[in-house]
Amino acid sequence: MRIILILIKKEFLQVFRNSLLWKILVLAPLAEFLLFPFTADYEIKNVNIAFIDHDKSSMTADIISKFGASPYFINHGILSSRKEAEKEMKRDNIDFIIEFPTDFEKDIVTQEQTVIGITANAINTVKAGLGTEYVQNVLGNYFMEISDENPVLSEQTQLLTTNVYWYNEQMNYKNLIVPGILIILVTLIGAYVTALNIVREKEIGTIEQINVTPIKKWQFLLGKMIPFWILGMVEFIVGLVIMYLVFGISIQGSIPLLLAMTAVYLLVMLGLGFFISSVASNQLQAMFIVFFLFILFVMLSGVFTPIEGMPEWATYINYFNPMSFFMVIVKTIILKGSGFESIQEQFIALATMAVILNTAALLSYRDKAK
Amino acid sequence: MKIPFISHTAEIKDSPYSIEVKELTKVYGKFTAVDHLTFNVKKGEIFGFLGANGAGKTTAIRMLCSLLQPTSGEATIAGFDLRKNAKSIKKNIGYMSQRFSLYDDLTIYENMQLFGTVYGIPHKELKNRIFESLKILNLEDKYKTLVYSIPLGWKQKLSFATAMLHRPQIVFLDEPTSGVDPIVRREFWNLIYEAASKGVTIFVTTHYMDEAEYCERVSIMSNGQLKLIGTPTELKETMQVDSIEKVFVKFVDR
Repeated sequence: MRIILILIKKEFLQVFRNSLLWKILVLAPLAEFLLFPFTADYEIKNVNIAFIDHDKSSMTADIISKFGASPYFINHGILSSRKEAEKEMKRDNIDFIIEFPTDFEKDIVTQEQTVIGITANAINTVKAGLGTEYVQNVLGNYFMEISDENPVLSEQTQLLTTNVYWYNEQMNYKNLIVPGILIILVTLIGAYVTALNIVREKEIGTIEQINVTPIKKWQFLLGKMIPFWILGMVEFIVGLVIMYLVFGISIQGSIPLLLAMTAVYLLVMLGLGFFISSVASNQLQAMFIVFFLFILFVMLSGVFTPIEGMPEWATYINYFNPMSFFMVIVKTIILKGSGFESIQEQFIALATMAVILNTAALLSYRDKAK
Repeated sequence: MKIPFISHTAEIKDSPYSIEVKELTKVYGKFTAVDHLTFNVKKGEIFGFLGANGAGKTTAIRMLCSLLQPTSGEATIAGFDLRKNAKSIKKNIGYMSQRFSLYDDLTIYENMQLFGTVYGIPHKELKNRIFESLKILNLEDKYKTLVYSIPLGWKQKLSFATAMLHRPQIVFLDEPTSGVDPIVRREFWNLIYEAASKGVTIFVTTHYMDEAEYCERVSIMSNGQLKLIGTPTELKETMQVDSIEKVFVKFVDR
């Protein structure tokens, strides 16, 4: 116990004495955390929209005014023809064309099938995709309103209101991005810093002086892991406070549960960092390995791109992606506020990875060269 | 030519030797770094381990300190079998590597406290021992100094003191005086004599042939093999030269 305590003390002394490491560990992540959510914002405003109205009914006028009232759209009014609309779109003046067919209102009232044409300028795919969802949202809300007034329409409108954004009702992308970035920062502390720290000791030879002592492998492992585990937890908690104060995202679920899950996730990342450090013989190698895995984890984790849009084989890779499991846990606890039952599977996956990686790290760590 | 090899027939229990090495070998692929090394070192002896660069000295030392897995052969260090009892060996030996390997970003005291604690020395006792050895080194008032800022000579003496904190039976010194000035070298050898006078076995490699003269016995390694072993006087007589340096040059030239 004394041995582990002195190793922890040593690690903290070194971290706080090394001014650059300090900045890398604390200031850089916080700066990124404060800047990144604003730049990685998927929210689209000022979508230019125009209408072609073959119906010219009171209903179409109502719908058009709804779009005018929405903060997301700039209403360019009614255009006379399809040809003119396309010309405007080619000039990039218009992102969306909404086309109402003849007898639109009549078909709705008589519950005939009818179609609203939505044409999107898909040069900017994100704008086109999100814009389409906004358009459907506005239409959905409109039909919800009129079906409340007129129960006869309710059956018809069900079809139009399928797009409702659960748990992120205002389509606020900060709610997804901020926790995602928090996860990335915790991952970096866990895997990167641990791997580099141990490999550095290999490079400068201090690890040999430790290995020549009767210290046991697990003591050395704990002496390295506990300090970085504590730093990771502190950083996560600071991140949560910033998330609340700066971005106004409060945690819907249980905070102790969230911290417990983070603790397990950090164990996975520390184990990974430790394992990489036994494989790599210098800091450069360690960095490349961590970097490769890190990019893989991030791209597949659903932090920046929706998992639903990935091909099936990619979802299989995600079974081995701790970040993906932790992303689900964090979103579930912070945004949905669900309890342990709904993240059991993810917890089991992370706990299994933690055990496997740390065992592998312990087995592969050599206090004796071959 | 008569080469004075020392046989190793003694029983382990009341062995007069603290290091017994038999056919110790390290092979890397096709390269044999250490080739069937056999020798003994007496308890309390200052044993010089000489050899040209790349002769295999460091490889041999690292095997004896249980930092490197031998390919074949046996060794008994401080009465413990190298293959079976590495942990017991580690408790009883001190090691000072070729490279300075204390923590640069810790103070003198913090370094000594770290290593002393790892060896299980009780807190109060450790504190006494640290200040005792710092007093000998004249570093008492520098105990709060970060190690990176002290000169190389001090660093080497500090490494030695740290390696001696747990009062090992044997201390392995791998080129402890390379790169330090003659005054510090002399001071360092005083420390070595001091330790040897208390019964500590000193196993030291060096490139300075004047230092080899200070050893009770020396051995010369070349291409992974132990070529010569004996007291400096014996070696000089055998080779019919007047200094160890000439013995060495004669050997390495072959």
